[in-house]
Amino acid sequence: MSRRLHLNVNILNAGVFGGSWRFPGTDGTASYTIEHYTSIAKKAEQAKLDAVFLADGPSLDPQIRHRTSNNLEPTTVLARIAARTERIGLIGTLSSSYNDPVELARRLGDLDYVSGGRFGWNVVTTAGAVAARNFGRTREPDHALRYRRAAEFTEQVVTAWAARTGLVSPQGRPVVVQAGGSSDGRRLAARVGEVIFSADRDIEHARAFRAEIRRGAVAFGRRPEDVVVLPGLSTVVGGTEAEARARRELLDEILPREYARNRLAGQLGICLDGLSDDEPIPPELLVDPDEAGGSQTFYRVVKTIIETERPTLGGLLKKLSGGGGHRIVVGTPEQIADDIELWFRTGAADGFNVMPDVLPSGFDDFADHVVPELRRRGLFRTDYEGTTLRDHLGLGLPAAGPYELRPLEPAL
Amino acid sequence: MSHVIQLALAVGEAAARPSAGPARGPVPVPLAGAVAVAAAAREAGITAIRLLDGVAAGHVLDPTVVGAYLAGLHDGLGYIAEVPTTHNPPYNAARRVLSLDRATGGLAGVALRAGGGDEVSRAAAPDPRAADPAARWSEYAHVLTRLWESFPRAALIGDQEAGVVVDDSLVRPIDHEGAFYRVAGPLDGPSSAQGRPVVVADLGDLDVLDVTAVAWSADVVVVDRERAAGADAALTEALRRAGRSREEVALLGRVEIARDDLDPGDPATGAVLADDLRDWAGEHRLDGFELVPTGGADAVVAAVRALTPRLRDTAGSPASARPGTLRAALGLPEPAAVAA
Repeated sequence: MSRRLHLNVNILNAGVFGGSWRFPGTDGTASYTIEHYTSIAKKAEQAKLDAVFLADGPSLDPQIRHRTSNNLEPTTVLARIAARTERIGLIGTLSSSYNDPVELARRLGDLDYVSGGRFGWNVVTTAGAVAARNFGRTREPDHALRYRRAAEFTEQVVTAWAARTGLVSPQGRPVVVQAGGSSDGRRLAARVGEVIFSADRDIEHARAFRAEIRRGAVAFGRRPEDVVVLPGLSTVVGGTEAEARARRELLDEILPREYARNRLAGQLGICLDGLSDDEPIPPELLVDPDEAGGSQTFYRVVKTIIETERPTLGGLLKKLSGGGGHRIVVGTPEQIADDIELWFRTGAADGFNVMPDVLPSGFDDFADHVVPELRRRGLFRTDYEGTTLRDHLGLGLPAAGPYELRPLEPAL
Repeated sequence: MSHVIQLALAVGEAAARPSAGPARGPVPVPLAGAVAVAAAAREAGITAIRLLDGVAAGHVLDPTVVGAYLAGLHDGLGYIAEVPTTHNPPYNAARRVLSLDRATGGLAGVALRAGGGDEVSRAAAPDPRAADPAARWSEYAHVLTRLWESFPRAALIGDQEAGVVVDDSLVRPIDHEGAFYRVAGPLDGPSSAQGRPVVVADLGDLDVLDVTAVAWSADVVVVDRERAAGADAALTEALRRAGRSREEVALLGRVEIARDDLDPGDPATGAVLADDLRDWAGEHRLDGFELVPTGGADAVVAAVRALTPRLRDTAGSPASARPGTLRAALGLPEPAAVAA
């Protein structure tokens, strides 16, 4: 059977850019209503996407003054979407750092059952002192401990799912999705990940990353095709190339500047005070990613940009545009389809976790124009062939483990 | 006044082999049956469905998941998810319940069950020796209510021109530090249309909760037959000591209804039972009932249809005239802000 392209939509509240919520014609607080999520999910189902994806973290973003953030808990949102859709997969992010594994295994297994086998769990570790303080800690656990716990936590949850005898979903158990780009994260991905949500801007690097994940899976006794690699892809779609570029420019203009500076400083754990927008960023400000707290994936992406392109602070902020460091494609539906096709056909991706620039309008454009173009090229399904997320992703139900279950180390 | 009617429902799967002895409490109804029950409950004018967790007679699906799912199919009535303190860090429970509440437009609540701690909080517990489940319940409920107010709805501005999403000066951490939990907050999302989700306390819960433990935070208190006598007076006094009034809390009497209690061919059985229950409520100054039909989905639907119109005391008033939020449906005032 020929390879199939997979597409998820990441309903990242108002959109991936820092200024998305200010985009003309957009209801700025729509992402604080449940209808925002259910209606995008319905649209995604009409477009026959594999799944909707919800990012999450158990804390309030300190930057809330200037940009919308995640504000609804994913399992309750996805359960509601399950009630209002029939086929679309439902992927939710839930922290391994700050959940009790017994409770989470039960709740996610139940969500999979209630949704008719459509759920996928995006396992993350939660960085940052802000979240830590909501769970009795004063600071985040160190990176290696977070990942050690995540691996053991995931194995424990998967083992609990595999042991269920009643209330088992049609897909057997939820799909395990994993995103970390760090070395610890890649090990976890190779061992238990079934969908890998990566962040790659460079096609060569993406190809190497996918090959490494597939080799890693084989090293753990799995088949390479048991892992589906979906890089994040931010999209800015226009009827013409000029229209798309204008849209991208506008998104830059409406990005709250203070937000962009604060966010970059916070994510890199450095101080940008006194640095003006037209000054280059001194590379010595940055430390090695393995020593930095927070998200290593984002850190690495930014560090590479700073070292190779030597941008000014303003230039870097514009380049990131308040997004998570994922690759941004700007263009007509044909140009975006060209890009997707190139990455897919040359082994850099099995598909994409699509992060529209503005929600819902950017996703409407993607679903109405890019998806049909991908279909014309024979790359994307015209209808669902099955009912479960595993069906959509072409994933079977692998054996769970055997894992050596040890007592979990609390992420202190 | 009209009676509040809460329906207790377990959703999941009945045990293949019932455990030895008569299993008390309801038998889980399958998910499809629960969808039919929710439709019937809405039509009959049930105030809220309390989704039970952990019943003796089978395996139950997570009530927050089931509540969100059912509310997505049948809106217009309340959904109260049972959540135990056991295995649930309070920040996570607060988020799930508030998310459900916001998704339903202020029609959700939590029946917080007494129990133990969770793996995440235990590792950072301020007082590792603290163990009393009633004290844990009180602290946990207090944390929930404070978190639910930490991000007031009024703070969500969405001023696109000025580039301000949230007036963050109105959003405050709770900085809670008690014996069991240390929780900074604030919560990630704005507060509910009903002020905050409803907190249900069950005085039959593990036999550990009493009126004193629940007086600070409960909006609804459920008592069973054996405990109904004197409950109103005890609750009134406990609320007074907590600086609250009896009008701020709905006191519900729990009634198990076996399949045999209602004969579908004889409407008189429903009328007799309803009269008996209304007398009981009048005698003990109960604000309403929690119905616990024990006989499977069909029996639950039959009990809902037979009893609800006779218990509500709202003959003539159309079911569509229901209040907008669960608090309003329970006859409760907007909640006062929780003191730190």
